[in-house]
Amino acid sequence: MKIRAPKDFWSGVMFCGFAAVAIAAARGYSLGSAGKMGPGYFPLLLGFVLAALGAVLIARSVVVDDEPLPRFYVLPLVIIAAAVCLFGLLIEPLGLVVSLAVLTVLSAWVGPQFRLLETVVLAAVLIVFSIGVFVYVLGLPLTIWPSL
Amino acid sequence: MDVITSLGLGFAVALTLQNICYCFIGVLLGTVIGVLPGIGPVTTVAMLLPISFTLQPESALILLAGIYYGAQYGGSTTAILVNIPGEASSVVTTIDGHQMALKGRAGPALGIAALASFFAGCVSTLLIAFAAPPLAAVALQFGPAEYFSLMVCGLIAAVVLARGSLVKAIAMVVLGLLLGLVGTDVNSGARRFNFGMTGLADGIEFVALSMAIYGIAEVVCNLEKKLATSVVSDAVGRVWPSLADLRHCAGSILRGTGLGAVLGVLPGGGALLASFAAYTFEKNVARPPREFGHGDIRGVAAPEAANNAGAQTSFIPMLTLGIPGNPTMAMMIGALMIHGIAPGPRVMTDRPALFWGLIASMWLGNLMLVILNLPMVGVWVRLLRVPYRLLYPAIIVFCCIGVYIINSKPFDAFVMAFFAVFGYVALKLDCEPAPLILGFVLGPMMEENLRRALLISRGDPMVFLQEPISLAFLLVAAGLLLLLAAPVIRTKREEALKE
Repeated sequence: MKIRAPKDFWSGVMFCGFAAVAIAAARGYSLGSAGKMGPGYFPLLLGFVLAALGAVLIARSVVVDDEPLPRFYVLPLVIIAAAVCLFGLLIEPLGLVVSLAVLTVLSAWVGPQFRLLETVVLAAVLIVFSIGVFVYVLGLPLTIWPSL
Repeated sequence: MDVITSLGLGFAVALTLQNICYCFIGVLLGTVIGVLPGIGPVTTVAMLLPISFTLQPESALILLAGIYYGAQYGGSTTAILVNIPGEASSVVTTIDGHQMALKGRAGPALGIAALASFFAGCVSTLLIAFAAPPLAAVALQFGPAEYFSLMVCGLIAAVVLARGSLVKAIAMVVLGLLLGLVGTDVNSGARRFNFGMTGLADGIEFVALSMAIYGIAEVVCNLEKKLATSVVSDAVGRVWPSLADLRHCAGSILRGTGLGAVLGVLPGGGALLASFAAYTFEKNVARPPREFGHGDIRGVAAPEAANNAGAQTSFIPMLTLGIPGNPTMAMMIGALMIHGIAPGPRVMTDRPALFWGLIASMWLGNLMLVILNLPMVGVWVRLLRVPYRLLYPAIIVFCCIGVYIINSKPFDAFVMAFFAVFGYVALKLDCEPAPLILGFVLGPMMEENLRRALLISRGDPMVFLQEPISLAFLLVAAGLLLLLAAPVIRTKREEALKE
């Protein structure tokens, strides 16, 4: 058996994975009956439908021809996702200025044409703009500076 | 007339100083992001959802709606002058629009695009005003079985009209429905799928999910492509089209508006589908046709009228049925829910100021857009000099602040990061994210209606086939699926025969 449509194959695997998690978790909730659905009824139903659709995709991938997988650019994805998480970690203890500076520099750094000076200016502009709009205009209770 | 009084109320709401301001900000932002390639209305609406939380619901919807139809105006500017679609819905405008610009007729092309959009905007605003009340009145009669089947039908139709693989799209819908169920079950109070994380007790934050996919994942995808930033900054010249031009494309504008208005109402429809369909249609009916592709003004007028008409009429199912036809409408529903308003036919009767204010603001917004776009087009073109490397960190920054301010919960940033990775993988595997978003919004409502319908029928699933309206919706859904499956089967058979 040769996988001829890798995109279908891997999406099928992905959907089956989600379905497996859903079914495993939904089994822990009371099922009820059709006339009196418990919290597990609809999720379990959806889990099985998703698993079936995933299986169809996997089955199709050995029958239908499709283009190969595109290249995955892992580094930019991981850095940006990490930068977002880092923002979540820093925003409350260190405030907007520090967390936005870190976020902007990290995001700009993974781009194709990173220029340090430009990025510093960009970070400054974004910080000033965000504080102006979110803290002063919209009056949201955001920490600006690190609380020591 | 009832509609006239209601529209009067609408204008009273839309014409308050505050709402004029939000409408203006909306259409201005819409124009800006419409002009800029690499950032579209879905991303922008997602980024502004958290801000809309701080506004009155009326102002919030007026602002968000302005972005969506404003982008249809802005997108054409880039398409005509630079041959890059500023928006997906102005892809077809590049064909004839840029040819016109090369022939020194950029001005009239821009002018006709704005005027066609304005005309379409006025017509579809009236259409919403007249079509929505009877539709909502019908929807009010629906019981849970009808509602469940309507949602099935809407989701299937949205999937069928979307591009790409049908199985993947349905799988994305189902996954979206599942993700929508995360959190506390309203009926039993049971916590579902939280995997021991207290942050998921209230479910997955809609804003986090939509910004992850349409903001962050899309940025990562765009970083791989080379987004052109070069600008042909030719003088635009006189923007008012001549009387002969107007007469030449009056028919196209009318046809584009009609087609766009109809396609906008369909689930899965909206601006994008409308513009493609209108261009193809125009190419087939216009005489003489050979000018098309070589700078025919009708090839600009028809799709530009259609995309604006489609953008606006796609509000009809969202406002009257609570069913989103495209991701932008899903975000509008998200905005309503943030304000604690249950989307559905009751919005119109319970919140007339919101409903009619939004409609009146659309007309107002279209008027502002003509003024913004025609004399000031030079300003927008200069925006194209902003390189993407400066734009994308800003998108990420606003997504992060937005996701935090909605609940003041740092956990939502982690949720956003997780779904950004998921969204990137899904996009790479050609799994369109739009069905996922639609499913996510409808998940809880679908479960609730299924539960109620089965409770009434004492667990008999045949209830969905016995109620005539419900049966009709399911038949339409099945018919659509068959329609799409048929050519696939046919080509398969041909392939098999060849071997």
